[in-house]
Amino acid sequence: MYFAQLAVNGLVQGLVISLAAMSITLVFGIVRFPNAATGDIMTVGAFSGLIVYPLTGSLLLSGIFAVVVTAAVALAGHLLVFRRLAARSVVALLVASIGVGFVLRSIMGLAFGHQPMVFSMPLSRPYRIGGLAINPLDLQLALLAAVILALAFAVLHLTPIGRQMRAVADNAALARVSGIRSGRVLAALWVLAGAIAGAGGVMLGVKTVVSPEMGWDMLMPAFAAAIFGGIGSPAGALLAGLILGVVQEMSTPFVGFTYKIALSFAIMLIVLLKRPSGLLGRIEGVR
Amino acid sequence: MLSYLLAIAIITLIYLLLSFGLSLQYGSVGLINFGHVGFFAIGAYTSALLALSGVPLFASFCAAAIAAGLAAWPIGLISLRLRDDYFAIVTLGFSETVRIIIVSEKWLTNGVQGVPGIPRLFSSLPVGLAAQLATAGLLLAVCVGAALVMWRIIKSPFGRVIQAIRDNEDALKALGKDPARFKIQVLMLSAALAGIAGAFYAHYITFIIPEQFVPLVTFYVWMAIIIGGVGRISGAIVGTVLLMVFLEGSRFMRDFIPGVSEVEMASLRIGVIGLLLILFTLYRPQGLMGDYTKR
Repeated sequence: MYFAQLAVNGLVQGLVISLAAMSITLVFGIVRFPNAATGDIMTVGAFSGLIVYPLTGSLLLSGIFAVVVTAAVALAGHLLVFRRLAARSVVALLVASIGVGFVLRSIMGLAFGHQPMVFSMPLSRPYRIGGLAINPLDLQLALLAAVILALAFAVLHLTPIGRQMRAVADNAALARVSGIRSGRVLAALWVLAGAIAGAGGVMLGVKTVVSPEMGWDMLMPAFAAAIFGGIGSPAGALLAGLILGVVQEMSTPFVGFTYKIALSFAIMLIVLLKRPSGLLGRIEGVR
Repeated sequence: MLSYLLAIAIITLIYLLLSFGLSLQYGSVGLINFGHVGFFAIGAYTSALLALSGVPLFASFCAAAIAAGLAAWPIGLISLRLRDDYFAIVTLGFSETVRIIIVSEKWLTNGVQGVPGIPRLFSSLPVGLAAQLATAGLLLAVCVGAALVMWRIIKSPFGRVIQAIRDNEDALKALGKDPARFKIQVLMLSAALAGIAGAFYAHYITFIIPEQFVPLVTFYVWMAIIIGGVGRISGAIVGTVLLMVFLEGSRFMRDFIPGVSEVEMASLRIGVIGLLLILFTLYRPQGLMGDYTKR
């Protein structure tokens, strides 16, 4: 029963990782670099949510505001930095994304200070379902994540721009000659990736404390989940994030609290060396 | 004043050793190492813990270099099988894992409390200027040695092979060279340099905690080599000096701009570093000392 409880707790943690990993995997699949600013975009989302929450007291409204802000931030990052580096090597994009992350973290630190802040949620009695304690707050967060995920998958699979996005991810040159306007697709992609990361940031902020460094600490598990799920596969990222969250939580009694991050590193390494296409990814010529 | 300048010189030279290693890796074989601070930490802790248990400093410094170099060996083997961007993520994870191990294994490293009272170099000399001067001198000698080794590597047949690896690995393989061995050797060599830098750091500061080995240190060094120009000795030197001017200068700035707290300054510092990383990759990818004829 104890482990079942840990697994339930891990699922919510896993959803946060899933969202971060999806943001990473979307960008990686199309712009083809690991966006190291993802964590800091999440931080921006958490702080944005924190501004709105005391005013409205609504988790949904804070989430929407955060998602709008982070989508705008990600789009700005694309227009100001990443778009101009499109013809350059992966290194240039990677280093620039580190730079973007640092700038965002610096702005958050200057604007809000380094005192850890919290969403002051009303305490509520957990639901008891067959001996499992389920926090209503977790349920709300899971719902929020489900809404965002549903929207993201709907955009990807049901809209023309989503189809174009997947076409560009599949074969950029072919998409281009088919008349897909890659500029619009890329802008839409960054908006989507930013929005997903922002939602993850709000969730993380509600579950833990909000500080300028919070997002950076999520980067390792998020990369691990993106690779584990198969780069470029949003569904894989979702699945891998959930698995990673549950595994991390359930391993805590054995390996202790601090080794949780090292665990995701180990999983990432094993996947890279043994099955680089991940759970749902396709096999690529190079890795 | 002289003592202060010497202190800055020592820290600059320590960072220079890190820059040389990173510049050699990226500038020559094209390895993107985001976990350099991990080797720095391994060197610092190895030498500090050995010295505290009574091992002579010379031996503990050698052990630091060997430990860091050996730690690079499996990383090198992994690097052969990964594309550049994956390797960057893996090394970042490596340095974070090293830090987590240091935090967690309290029986060995004393966890977050850190290791205090690490013996100084040249403790037989009177404390103060003489010992500092001797430390700076020794470090300078090590740096010159490292620069010579680096120069030899860049100019030697070995170096030409290395450059060929960066430019066209497949063509090189077709010529019958084995790029894998060179990559691992370069990685181990620069890790050993980082280990020595870590040992100097530990015995100079005399107190180390895991917080001193965060990924930010790696990106300080990255900023230095990107500003200076990657793959060049002159670039590493210029970049590192500018980095130190910036880090120390931002400390003085606080005296002139009233009302800025230490944490705000830290935020500002990160912001400037981020901005410089972006601007240099956008507008001057070859760095200040790079080739001006190329765009």
